[in-house]
Amino acid sequence: MIFQSVNGTERPVRLCEQTRLFAAESLGHRYGLDTEKVMSVGIGSDAVFGLSDIEKYDLAIKTIAEQAPIRICEGEKLSGAATLGLGIRHLVPATCGGEPVFPSISHLTVDFESVLKLGTDGIRAKAEKAYQKYKNTNKEPFAKSCLNCLDAFETYRQRYLDALKNKPGYEANYKNLQNVPKKPAGNYYEAVQSIWFTFSFLRLCGNWPGIGRLDLLLKPYLEKDLSEGVLTLDQAREILAHFFIKGCEWIRGGDCGSGDAQHYQNIVISGVGENGADITNDVTYLILDIIEETGISDFPTTVRINKNSSEKLLRRAAEVIRFGGGVVAVYNEDLILKSLTSYGYDRNEAVKFANDGCWEVQIPGKTYFTYHPFDSLQILQKTTLDGYKRAFDSFESLYARYIKDLGDYLNGFLSDMCACFDGKDEDGNWIRKPVFPCTVIALFEQGCIEKGLSYLELGPVYNVISPHIGGLADTVDFLYAVKKLVFDDKKVTFEELLKILSDNWEGYEPLRQYALNKYDYYGNDNDEVDGICARLLSDFADICAGLDGKCGYNFPGGVSTFGRQLEWSPHRLACAHGRRAHEVLAANASPTPGTDKTGATAIIRSYCKNDLAKLPTGAALDIKLLPSSVKGEDGIGAIVSLIRGFVMLGGFFMQPDVVDVSVLRDAQKNPENYQNLSVRVSGWNARFVTLNKEWQDMVIGQNEFGCGC
Amino acid sequence: MNSDAAVKLTVTEIQRYCMHDGPGVRTVVFLKGCPLRCLWCHNPEAQDPSPQLLFYNKKCVGCGMCRKCERGVHSFDGGGHVIDRRKCTACGKCEALCPASALQISGKRMSVSDIVGLCLRDAAFYGDTGGVTLSGGEPLFQPGAVALLRELKKAGLDTVLETCGYVKPDMIKKAVPLTDTFLWDIKDTDGLRHEKYTGKPNGLIISNLRLADSYHAKIRLRFILINGVNTDIKHYKACAELYRSLSNADTPEIIPYHAYGGVKSTFLGLPDSERRDFIPTEEQIKEFKKYLFM
Repeated sequence: MIFQSVNGTERPVRLCEQTRLFAAESLGHRYGLDTEKVMSVGIGSDAVFGLSDIEKYDLAIKTIAEQAPIRICEGEKLSGAATLGLGIRHLVPATCGGEPVFPSISHLTVDFESVLKLGTDGIRAKAEKAYQKYKNTNKEPFAKSCLNCLDAFETYRQRYLDALKNKPGYEANYKNLQNVPKKPAGNYYEAVQSIWFTFSFLRLCGNWPGIGRLDLLLKPYLEKDLSEGVLTLDQAREILAHFFIKGCEWIRGGDCGSGDAQHYQNIVISGVGENGADITNDVTYLILDIIEETGISDFPTTVRINKNSSEKLLRRAAEVIRFGGGVVAVYNEDLILKSLTSYGYDRNEAVKFANDGCWEVQIPGKTYFTYHPFDSLQILQKTTLDGYKRAFDSFESLYARYIKDLGDYLNGFLSDMCACFDGKDEDGNWIRKPVFPCTVIALFEQGCIEKGLSYLELGPVYNVISPHIGGLADTVDFLYAVKKLVFDDKKVTFEELLKILSDNWEGYEPLRQYALNKYDYYGNDNDEVDGICARLLSDFADICAGLDGKCGYNFPGGVSTFGRQLEWSPHRLACAHGRRAHEVLAANASPTPGTDKTGATAIIRSYCKNDLAKLPTGAALDIKLLPSSVKGEDGIGAIVSLIRGFVMLGGFFMQPDVVDVSVLRDAQKNPENYQNLSVRVSGWNARFVTLNKEWQDMVIGQNEFGCGC
Repeated sequence: MNSDAAVKLTVTEIQRYCMHDGPGVRTVVFLKGCPLRCLWCHNPEAQDPSPQLLFYNKKCVGCGMCRKCERGVHSFDGGGHVIDRRKCTACGKCEALCPASALQISGKRMSVSDIVGLCLRDAAFYGDTGGVTLSGGEPLFQPGAVALLRELKKAGLDTVLETCGYVKPDMIKKAVPLTDTFLWDIKDTDGLRHEKYTGKPNGLIISNLRLADSYHAKIRLRFILINGVNTDIKHYKACAELYRSLSNADTPEIIPYHAYGGVKSTFLGLPDSERRDFIPTEEQIKEFKKYLFM
């Protein structure tokens, strides 16, 4: 059995053979294919006649809980499975007359802490109280729905108990499930089962929540069990490994567009806790052990690193990163805490940060989150330059107009968001117009039950829509090239350049070469171009800040593309920095492919010159390293140094990946040999062979010029 | 600016985030000029101390801008770009004109303060072990290298000097107190062969090594292994002896010949100097290791 790695190095073996086989089977799509067998449950067109949306939703959840196939894998240590295929497609897997009834929820991390500490009984008590409070008000249907969905969850648990009762080999599963998630978890094994069962039910209902700070959640339970001598670290690792293995139950195999492992189930580890103390513990290292051994990439894991993080933690992270697959990424905790507190979060809230299941920072279990991605390059090309019909007489006038257009665009978006509200109630709270029901999620988001408001209707404590600027490096490089070619070096007039770009550089190859080769663009530690980037991001953050307070949402900014550069490229015109129309360009806050000539440290320095604390949801930097540059003891040191430097210089989020383009090319040609080779896409991972050709080519293109020496 | 900071050096390249040129993450400064002419040289552009024109044929788009050269170095004969290097003074005019960067001058004059400034850019990544490595060419071939070392130390940076050892003993004396680690290349312990393949005998190299050692310099020997040249047991034994005789030796490294440098000769207008036959076998490396670490 081989768990693949990019660098070809053999992964260590710590888990027992049976667990390893289970992992291999799961990575080999067995359960993913099984999930595709039953796509959904039907709720019949007659039954729903005359029902309100929320009643229809409750019926859907009830039917799912009653009818979804139960799956018990051989030797599994944890029970529960998301067995309906439509869930993988981000839909509530219930159909009416053959059609899916409701969309589902992603980009959040739910409140597993309450599940562990209160159990669903505790949550029910809150829901009962809310029902009494909101009875005979317009919030009664939602309060009732909370109780209905808890009933459905209980039905689902009972079905598993029935299936496990007297089943030889599953005594522990049965015993654990008798207690959790109904009651608070009493030990480590119960805690892992409690989180898994809740997670699997949320997924069964089509939702894609993140996991959050798993090592913090499990810490007290493992510490207690270890000190009482009722569990060993090896046993704890085995149990947790099953969590990871079961988490790849949605691997479908085959060509799935953007890949098969993007269900936003991120884990965040290490960092400080509420009292400022380091929470790193045995669970932190067990998680790294499991990723290192199995290469399972379905739970992209981000390590919260600060200036005081231990050498041991950094080395372990580096050792795992070295295997490739980009499973382990890094948050700069110091900067993120600064960012969140200056945005207005209380320090005690800020320290809880995890992400939305992808990499955007949020307070888990308390935040409604979505993001609004847009292509900044298109605004420059189509609006500011009017499709290359408008020239400017100075760089400053061009830049000023661009910032105005950016502001207009975002204010237009704000108007759309404001239209979602019916003003404020008598207590001064914004009233969100109704959205589709999603009570299952609301149950696990603090604020919803108490306020009698659903997750999408301002129920959570924080409600955030993050404008995400995309095409950042392309816009910056474009502006810089115009500044140099037209105004500083006077190689061409503005009007001539517009004509040349309209003609897609046709007949101007030498000038195009000049633009490509003679300037150091963003990512090369060139202060002049990096200064444009820092200025643009700062202005963007100021525009975002101006959107707050106008409706029920806050609008902290971020930087991302998440692979959208592929969708955007057909609409993009030729660029002043030498690119032809429709080229697939920069990802996230990373440089335009092919422009980063100075290596990884220069990219990090360019990125860190931005005042990233002004972007509270984050800016992702992808760093590609060659296997040869991170080999041996020197290689571990090199990754550790990269991370330390990243933190010292004020980075936000970094996804280091070790990639060998020749391996990827071979995988494209011979997919059968690389079934579980994973690559970081952005915020999520995908097994390379499950990306379609277009996505594969993009990943290869972005790695072609991989830095490192 | 003090006098050291203003000293100018001829630099072929400064590479950041290097992992295999001394401890930790390092910035490597390649200085131009070398007293040796090793047949297996992997940085042939760094041999000649003066600036030279490099031509990357594959990048040339044939635009003909370079024909503005007053000395008539560049011509296009039947579509091909022809360079008359006898006329070239490496003035750099064609480099500025060439849009595709197919023409580049190897050997920029840079002040010590500019070099140190560039090295400091990556200070956040050096950690406790990394720093700056001077390489080449032979870094001590330019007397100004001492000023550079002095300024690097003043900036608090760890310094590694990658040397062939064929320099004036005085340079070694000056470099020792400014160098945290020497990476000392040993090409051959056989004096005659050394002269045959590098153009110079090895006596000075060994006596300089002894000199540096007598000052307790930290030295990591780097044995260059060339198939068919120094792959004999007598040499292996002599290397092991040399290593053991040093008072403050770091674990030595074996550097097997690789062919990457060959193609670089073509950028200088010379035939490809690649010698696949020089690549040692795994067995040879293993055997050498056996003697070295016995």
